[in-house]
Amino acid sequence: MNLDHVLIAVHSIRHRKLRSWLTVVGIIIGVAAIISLITVSRSLESTIQQQFEQFGANRIIISAKGFQGPGTMSQGLTTEDVDTIQKISGFKYVVPGLFRSAEVGFHGETGFTLIGALPAEQYRDFYADTGIELDRGKMIQEGDTHVALIGSRVAADMFGKEMGVGNKIIINKVNFKIIGIMKEIGNDHDDNQIAIPLETAREIFNEPERVDTIIAQVKSGADIPSLQHKIERELERKRGDTNFQVLTATQILEQINQVLGVMQVVLVGIAAISLLVGAIGIMNSMYTSVLERTKEIGIMKAIGARNSDILQIFLMESGLIGLVGGLLGSALGTAGALALGSFSKGAGFLLLVKIEISVLLFGLLFALVLGLLSGILPAYQAAKLKPVEALRYE
Amino acid sequence: MSALIKLQDVYKIYSLEDVEVPAIDGISLEINQGDFVALIGPSGSGKSTVMNLIGCLDTATKGTIHLGSHNIQHLSESDLAQIRGKQIGFIFQTFNLIPSLHALDNVALPMLFQHIPKSARNKKAKKLLEQVGLADRMYHLPNQLSGGQRQRVAIARALINDPEIILADEPTGNLDTKTGEEIMKLLSSFHRQGKTIILVTHNPALTKLANKVIRMKDGQIMGG
Ligand SMILES: Nc1ncnc2c1ncn2[C@@H]1O[C@H](COP(=O)(O)OP(=O)(O)OP(=O)(O)O)[C@@H](O)[C@H]1O
Ligand SMILES: [Mg+2]
Repeated sequence: MNLDHVLIAVHSIRHRKLRSWLTVVGIIIGVAAIISLITVSRSLESTIQQQFEQFGANRIIISAKGFQGPGTMSQGLTTEDVDTIQKISGFKYVVPGLFRSAEVGFHGETGFTLIGALPAEQYRDFYADTGIELDRGKMIQEGDTHVALIGSRVAADMFGKEMGVGNKIIINKVNFKIIGIMKEIGNDHDDNQIAIPLETAREIFNEPERVDTIIAQVKSGADIPSLQHKIERELERKRGDTNFQVLTATQILEQINQVLGVMQVVLVGIAAISLLVGAIGIMNSMYTSVLERTKEIGIMKAIGARNSDILQIFLMESGLIGLVGGLLGSALGTAGALALGSFSKGAGFLLLVKIEISVLLFGLLFALVLGLLSGILPAYQAAKLKPVEALRYE
Repeated sequence: MSALIKLQDVYKIYSLEDVEVPAIDGISLEINQGDFVALIGPSGSGKSTVMNLIGCLDTATKGTIHLGSHNIQHLSESDLAQIRGKQIGFIFQTFNLIPSLHALDNVALPMLFQHIPKSARNKKAKKLLEQVGLADRMYHLPNQLSGGQRQRVAIARALINDPEIILADEPTGNLDTKTGEEIMKLLSSFHRQGKTIILVTHNPALTKLANKVIRMKDGQIMGG
């Protein structure tokens, strides 16, 4: 590499500013699209993974399978099933959960949201293991009735007035006292919930028996798959049917990853298309910009430039354009992914954007190599022309 | 004394579809060291073609061309580039400067291709620009210069590697009479310094500076 050649290349790039910038912009868009798509798709995967690792690894989740409700043969889960599972040893605790959408009233306004209910005495442990913390107020504890913990979004946004500890709310026409506000959890579903004691929920929803989900927290070190089998066996024996499913957190993660895999294929497909479009754009503008200067190549040859000099100058030029486009494109793509991350947070969906050096390097190299490749062909063609022919080119 | 430039029975034939156009139709000529040769003839007679062949910008279809001791038909592409860079200085009708480089860099460019360090290049280029009267225009881009000034930049560029031969193809063709005369004065001063000069021109008045006049017609030398 020859510094003089670099300087000629730099002069030439700066001389045709507009064209150079247009070429660079083409590269920026291509690279930015690729970088942001890849980053978002990878962040999505790691976000979900991380959320599960946070609380899910030691859990077995039991839920009803198929359609339930009046008129169907299928029987949902009941408190009996909770007892069955509690008799199996190896669990730290077994938590039954009941979830209902209900009308909520506050300061004369009403709205609907999800009410989640666990046994009052189990909130403390379950929330601790799940990583849910209170922003202010206190936890629901044994003996509590008609009290509520409010999700952060419900507290802040649901009604015209912000909810505070000590305020009164009405759930399903029954009065409750707010005793705590939860910290933001990061996803819409959880942040839009109100938690109340299970015993009270059974009264107000008139559900003496039913359980929607049972979460069995496994003692650390216990064999999760064998506990899973035990639960399946016992439930089947007691219930006499198989209208339930027993999943470990790992299995749920696998299911989510399958869906995510499809999404990633789509994202990567879009990225590949932008890659291709970007590549064609880079090649096209590089090709015309070199071709336009065939006469200059003729002049340089007439005053003693060898073919290798010509090639070096033009490779330097297209390489530089590729490099600048790649750098700015990577920066823009990263900014785009970060923006999407904060937007998703605002929209109530947790996406922890993770910037990966390897992805950035890929974008940079892609632009550089593509720039070089698309510069080398026309430069080579022009360099091997006879000087008279190149000089005659208009 | 053996000739510096020697063409023997040279042809340049263009094949267009099925007709063959002989741009040069069997030319032999000799030019000695220190000659000032004027090449005149009507448009299309082959003057530029002869220049391009002598200047190694083009290759002959038939015949041999010697520059000094070299038979240029036998030289590789990179040897020819060396000859163009070191032994020949071109001056074109349309100046042919690199638009992105200022006058100084344009003049120094042939030295760059000879891998001469920047400080030496710039020193020599400045000296030459002063000689052609452009001391105050060194950092102007070609499009910031008048036609006559551009041609003087091109002349300085042609001289920078101290070539033996200067090939000027209608150097005054795009200039007014007065500017043209100044350019001719420069050329004739280089002749007095011992350069071999070949000048293509339409203007018979300019041939009086030459010590040898070659008249061409239809790809041949008249009376030659
Ligand atoms: N690339 C080419 N293909 C076909 N014919 C060509 C080509 N280049 C030149 N010719 C022909 O060769 C002949 C000589 O051309 P040349 O350019 O040498 O003329 P010239 O004497 O320099 O004319 P002018 O005074 O107009 O510059 C012309 O008839 C021209 O048409
Ligand atoms: Mg001509």
